[in-house]
Amino acid sequence: MKKRKKKFDIVPYLFLSPWIIGFIAFSGVPILASFALSLTSWNMSGKMKFVGLSNFKSIFQSGSTFWGSLRVTLIFTVFSVLLTIFWSLLMATVLNSRIYFKKMFQFFFFLCAVLPTVALGFAFQLMLNSEIGIINYWLKAFLGISSPPNWLTERSWSLVTVIIFTVFTYGTGQMMLVFSSALKEVPRDLYESASLDGANGFQRYIHITLPAISPILLFNMVVAGINSLNGAFSSIYPVTGGGPDGATRVLSLQIYESAFKKYKMGIASSQAIVLFVIALIISLVQFVMSKKWVHYEN
Amino acid sequence: MKRMILKVLGTLFAALIAVIMFLPVLIIIGSSVKSLPDISSYPPKIFPENFHFDNFVTVLNTGNILLYFRNTLILIVGNVVGTLFSSALVAYPLARMNFRGKNFIFALILATMMVPATTTIIPQFVMFSKIGWVDTLLPLVVPAFFAYPYNVFLFRQFFMTIPMGLDEAARIDGCNRFQIFTHILVPLSKPIFITIGVMCMVSWWNELFSPLIYINSDELKPLTVGALSVFKAHFQFVTMWNLQMALALIMIIPPILLYLFAQEYLVEGIKTAGIKG
Repeated sequence: MKKRKKKFDIVPYLFLSPWIIGFIAFSGVPILASFALSLTSWNMSGKMKFVGLSNFKSIFQSGSTFWGSLRVTLIFTVFSVLLTIFWSLLMATVLNSRIYFKKMFQFFFFLCAVLPTVALGFAFQLMLNSEIGIINYWLKAFLGISSPPNWLTERSWSLVTVIIFTVFTYGTGQMMLVFSSALKEVPRDLYESASLDGANGFQRYIHITLPAISPILLFNMVVAGINSLNGAFSSIYPVTGGGPDGATRVLSLQIYESAFKKYKMGIASSQAIVLFVIALIISLVQFVMSKKWVHYEN
Repeated sequence: MKRMILKVLGTLFAALIAVIMFLPVLIIIGSSVKSLPDISSYPPKIFPENFHFDNFVTVLNTGNILLYFRNTLILIVGNVVGTLFSSALVAYPLARMNFRGKNFIFALILATMMVPATTTIIPQFVMFSKIGWVDTLLPLVVPAFFAYPYNVFLFRQFFMTIPMGLDEAARIDGCNRFQIFTHILVPLSKPIFITIGVMCMVSWWNELFSPLIYINSDELKPLTVGALSVFKAHFQFVTMWNLQMALALIMIIPPILLYLFAQEYLVEGIKTAGIKG
């Protein structure tokens, strides 16, 4: 409140210096360098050649593998966001309703979120194996499905598999916790007046609970979108490795292959720029939303 | 009576979800003590006919698995120490000092949390290869000493809850700002140090992407990367399901233990990180 002239104070910046150095070295310069590299043709060892925008032209050529990857990324992102939002909200709702053994259920619901995707990927590969997997056996034995899908080797099913896999990863557990605390904050008296009006449990959920947590719901969708861009690599690579034949090769896997398998640094950088722009758009949406709904106390 | 029936039904539904969410873990536990023919026999079962605990002995004696362990531990210790130290330092002025550019810097920190790792990894890789750090553990540990935005944010939020009056009192007693940090703030912030420490342990135990890129030598791989290739390299043409599952079990035990014993810290930290924005 007091207004006084101060001389320049270096101390805060000294405390900040690790971040300042880190920002310059590991974020700022690399982002700028990505833009520069995207305009070159370079294989790490030979000479770097300036090629203008031709990398972008070639990755966006019709029928390029990059278009395929963009398509896979879009499908993966949309469906994994919808599925994980639905599933985490379902789990949070169950944990916040009248049930026995809440603590125990929270443990089971959340457990997979902290486990290595590499280990879970092994489990998925075994249980979804078309010959010795238990899932297809159950589908045949209990549901009478005579020819269950090849979850890992058929193109369209492999995408379904990695989308289902995201239910068992960190992002879903995190959203469940966030939903869970949001549900606890829905004012009790809203429910009481509704029960007087004769609403049943399901109606109360649709008409009171969901609107009350809708800001968190929308907010989580954007977070899930970002998570899905960031986390796609570690949840897809151990399960399918991007295969079969590129069917689950999302952008981050595509970039990984171009850069670190084929050493096409220029092409890979231009793909990374596209990923960056997509993340930027999602972040901007989130920024606008958080202005409306999330308040930082200052 | 009706209430109780509803509660039982709700519990049954929760149990169904729990079974689905626990199924992969169950598969890992059951298959880790099966023999290879037992896993391939039809119809498949979750639990073994005979227990083969020798799978674990075989796993620990295969290739460089013990070295993978050591490497993962080095990454965990390095990153926990680095990030606790640097992120707490950086968060301190953001939470408790006024200076020019504070809001801008805080916004920048929030913004960098959104940049996908894949966007910056190529120039980082080029940079680390120029200084000869590729195929060493250095690119995986050193950046931790320069403050992770995520953890800076968590520290800042916690520091803001500590009353400013304490700083004033300490200043009157003659503490400088570094001493205020070490004598007042750090001792009061033990919970957030534990929270971030535990989260960092879990995430580096599970980390796959960056070591996959920086590490080529087998003896420098952490568990996650090593696990993907070790059995392929040592038992050609046969998928050693039983050994893979035994290794998977070994890999999921430490996070389960951490989760059991540090649940409130871990859950609180992940929740706060999720609400951040």
